[in-house]
Amino acid sequence: MSDKVRSLSLVLLLLVLISLPFLQDRVNREAAKFVSDNESAHDGLPIEWNDKQVICIFFPFDHPHVEFSSGVTMIGPDGVVIGVNDDLNSSGACVGGFLGYEDGMEFMMDATRAAGGKLAVGYKTNPNWGEWVHTIGGLNENEIQGDFNGAYWSLLHNGGYSMVGIGNLVMSEGDVISWEIATW
Amino acid sequence: MFDAHAAVLTPIETLILNVSLLFVVAWPMWVAGKSLRPTNDFAILALLALFATSGRILLDPLPNIQPVTVVVLLVGVHYGASRSIAFASVVAISSNLVLGHGLWTLYQVLAWSLVGIIGSSLAEKFRDGDSLSISRIGLAAFAAGFVFDWVVSISALHSIPMEKFPVYIMVGLPFDLAHAAGNLAFAAWLTGPLSEIMTRHSSQREAVVEPVKVTY
Repeated sequence: MSDKVRSLSLVLLLLVLISLPFLQDRVNREAAKFVSDNESAHDGLPIEWNDKQVICIFFPFDHPHVEFSSGVTMIGPDGVVIGVNDDLNSSGACVGGFLGYEDGMEFMMDATRAAGGKLAVGYKTNPNWGEWVHTIGGLNENEIQGDFNGAYWSLLHNGGYSMVGIGNLVMSEGDVISWEIATW
Repeated sequence: MFDAHAAVLTPIETLILNVSLLFVVAWPMWVAGKSLRPTNDFAILALLALFATSGRILLDPLPNIQPVTVVVLLVGVHYGASRSIAFASVVAISSNLVLGHGLWTLYQVLAWSLVGIIGSSLAEKFRDGDSLSISRIGLAAFAAGFVFDWVVSISALHSIPMEKFPVYIMVGLPFDLAHAAGNLAFAAWLTGPLSEIMTRHSSQREAVVEPVKVTY
C-alpha cells in the first residue's frame, strides 16, 4: 500500500510540474484584470503616447544615469528623443509609443533596445521567482549602499506595485510599466 | 589546462547533478544515524538540519520543491514544538546564506515554526496504533505547503497595500500547489526512513515505537 502512495505522489508531482506554466499563465492573466487603470499613469508623458505602451526607468538622485541625469528624457519607439520633462521630480528616461505587446519581458527588452543600449537590462532567471532584473542602464542593485539592508529594481504597473515579475506580466494597450529603486 | 569550471550545464543536467549530490549527502547520514548511540536526538537533529538545508539549496532549480517543510513537520511530530522551532530557524537561516537572506527569512522561520507546532500538536492524530499513518502525514504535508507559503506571503505587505493582497495570493497559487505536491511526495518517501531514525534516537522514547504504515 505504501508503494502505491509513493508512486501516486510522484505522478501527482509530475503532473503539477508539467501543468505549472499553464496554471501560471492563467493566474497571471487573471491578475492583469486587477491592475489599475492606465489613464493617470500617462500623466507627464507625451500626449501622442496616450493609449500606447510605455516603459520608464527612474534613477535614484545619488546614482543618476550617465546621460539621462537631468529630468526624464522621452524617447520614441524609433530611438529619437522627443523631449525632456523636468517637472516629474525624478531623473531617467521613458521609451514609449508602442502597440500590441502582451508579454512584459518581451516589451521591456524591445523598448530598452530602442534606446540604443543606454538602458540595457541585466537579469537572471530563478525557477521560484522568474526573471529577476538586477541591472538597468548600467546601474546594478548591489551598487546602491546606504542605511538599509539592500536595494532592488522595483516594478510598477500603471503606477501601482506589480503583483508579478516582469517575466509574468501580461500587458494591455496603453499600459505604463516603470522601474525604480526600492530598498528593504 | 583543463578548466572544470568552464563546463556549462543545461538546467536538466544541473538538476541531475544536484539530485545526485543530495543522495551523496543523505546516504552517509542514514548510515551515520544507524551507528549513533540511542537517545542521541540532538545529533540526529543536526544531521537532519544538514539534509534539509542541502536539500533546499540543491533543489532550488525546481519551483518551490524542497524537503524542509516535511522534515520540520516530522521533527514536530517526533520531538515536539520547541525543538522543531529551533530546527526550522537553523535550516531557514543556513539555507538562506546561500539562497539569499533578507526580511523574508524571518517570515520563513515563523512559517516553518508554525508547521512544526502543527506537527507537534497533531502528533497523536497522526498515530495509528504504534505507528505513523503515511496518508495522514501526507495530507498534513500537502496542507502545510499552502500554510507555509501564505504566512511567508504576509511579508509582501511591507511593499503592497492590503487590498492587493488577495491578488498576490492568487498569483502564487500555482507555486503553492507545487510546494504542496512536492511535500506529498517527500512525505510518502521520507516519513518511513526519517521516522525510523527519529524514533530510535528519541530521548522521550514514547513518541512512536514502530515504523510507519499506511492507513486511511
